Amino acid sequence: MGMSDDEIKAAIIEKAKKSPKPQLYIKDFYKCDPDTKPRKIKNLANALVREGELMFWSSGSTTMYARPDRIKNEEGDEGIN
Amino acid sequence: MAKHDTPMLDELEKGPWPSFVSDIKRQAEKNPDCWDILGQLELSYRDKITHWKHGGIVGVFGYGGGIVGRYSDVPKQFPGVEHFHTVRVNQPASKYYSTENLRALMDLWEKHGSGMTNMHGSTGDIVLLGCRTEALEPFFWDLTHELGQDLGGSGSNLRTPANCLGQSRCEWSCFDTEEACHHLTMHYQDEIHRPAFPYKFKFKFSGCPNDCVAALARSDFAVIGNWKDDIRIDQAAVKEYVAGNIPSNGGAHSGRDWGAFDIKKEVLDLCPTECMWMEGDELKIDNSECTRCMHCINVMPRALRPGKVQGASINIGAKAPILDGAQFATLIIPFIEVTAENEFENVIEVIENIWDWWMEVGKNRERVGETMQRVGLPTFIKVMGLDPIPQHVREPRSNPYVFWQEEEVPGGFDRDVEEFRKRHAA
Ligand code: HEM
Ligand code: HEM
Ligand code: SF4
Ligand code: SF4
Repeated sequence: MGMSDDEIKAAIIEKAKKSPKPQLYIKDFYKCDPDTKPRKIKNLANALVREGELMFWSSGSTTMYARPDRIKNEEGDEGIN
Repeated sequence: MAKHDTPMLDELEKGPWPSFVSDIKRQAEKNPDCWDILGQLELSYRDKITHWKHGGIVGVFGYGGGIVGRYSDVPKQFPGVEHFHTVRVNQPASKYYSTENLRALMDLWEKHGSGMTNMHGSTGDIVLLGCRTEALEPFFWDLTHELGQDLGGSGSNLRTPANCLGQSRCEWSCFDTEEACHHLTMHYQDEIHRPAFPYKFKFKFSGCPNDCVAALARSDFAVIGNWKDDIRIDQAAVKEYVAGNIPSNGGAHSGRDWGAFDIKKEVLDLCPTECMWMEGDELKIDNSECTRCMHCINVMPRALRPGKVQGASINIGAKAPILDGAQFATLIIPFIEVTAENEFENVIEVIENIWDWWMEVGKNRERVGETMQRVGLPTFIKVMGLDPIPQHVREPRSNPYVFWQEEEVPGGFDRDVEEFRKRHAA
């Protein structure tokens, strides 16, 4: 068995804070716990969005995840909000 | 009164066809923001570059799809389209509406958005074009609370499923496309509203191989009605067609005189697998060779019907050209029962088998059809737990090498080298 849900969530947040780019693909979070099924990791990442820890960023065709504070800065730089 | 000069767009009103430019002008008389759509588009035609900026964090709370963020990159010039987000609303199965519902939807959209629509987008959704970020939540509240309707999918989500009108109107439908589409839409609400995959994933349901929703070309998971037994033949009706007493193709070619109906020329010779022939005035079909193209049935609907053992074929992996070229779906499961009696359990099992694998193996922004291409069909068929069948083979092999799987070799790949060297010195 892999990590507990809370441990995985903490690892996801850590990854989203430290990644060079603010937006991450769902796949980037799989590595937080290789023993956990991708669908479970997806559900935990989506739970973090509901909890306000992450935010969706979508191009329309692809959806990515980001920390709200990091993404807002990005958009501010581009002058869209 | 037009707000911008649009000489190039005006050209597009001159042909004999309906013009989107005229449509936008008409709406702009009501909602002046729409003049800026035309202004910005004219500028794009002049600059030969789009002035839409893609993407962003727009959405409604708790949803990761259904709204596609679009902004103008020249908002000072065209303030009416500074924000111009697209909203996708899940269409009803088969796109049946009451005029009451359509009016309510349009009123809602004029209240919160530009009033411009696209009925329907190629995914099937009701597409509402252009609103500001702050209008999204109020619009969504009204849509869900007053109309009882919901957003569709976008981004890396399950996209809004779509179906042909199936058994509600069409005698050829081999399963209940509306029920299947509705059931799976409800079953997978989480996957429709929140991102779930490496990239988009689409289901479409057609009741027969005529494939009126073009599932084969447009969906990652195409469920296309099919039958297992023999095409039903009414020989008396065949004679009527031959005698010219029933018009072919349900009378669809009656606008012009094409001459007398010729069953040989129009049916037998056009059967792609050449599996039909006449014995006297009896029509014969070698059903084991029939590829379910529907041609003969389309030409003589009163004489020929799909068989009685009905279900669907599952074809996986179609996509539009993004990384590589466009491709049609590949036939994976030739026949599966599709019925509400088991709540589509067997179809769901196939879907989740694919998802579990694709989520793990698929690369970012890779459609399942591209993943299949990358690993090769034999590997994909193995992942799906299926045995290869002749229908999986596109053409005779041109590659002379045979690669054995370890479990296919008696004793596996391990061997006793010492023993071998006793017979063959190194
Ligand atoms: C990154 C390095 C290499 C790659 C990606 C590569 C890739 C390949 C591929 C794809 C084949 C065809 C295999 C098949 O028939 O299905 C092949 C064949 C072959 N390669 Fe390489 N190769 C590499 C390095 C080398 C080196 C360093 C040598 C020799 C010193 C070599 C010698 C051969 C030979 C002799 C064959 C023909 C084998 C046969 O069909 O009898 N390769 N290689
Ligand atoms: C006098 C020396 C050699 C002779 C007479 C010889 C002869 C041959 C012959 C007859 C073949 C089969 C060709 C065919 O059927 O298409 C062959 C294939 C081959 N030889 Fe040699 N060979 C010699 C030296 C070498 C050396 C020094 C190497 C490597 C350093 C080498 C590597 C190969 C390879 C990799 C193949 C397979 C080519 C392929 O089909 O992909 N040979 N050789
Ligand atoms: S796909 Fe077949 S069943 Fe569906 S509407 Fe078209 S002809 Fe009828
Ligand atoms: S459906 Fe197509 S392949 Fe089958 S018998 Fe008719 S024409 Fe031939």
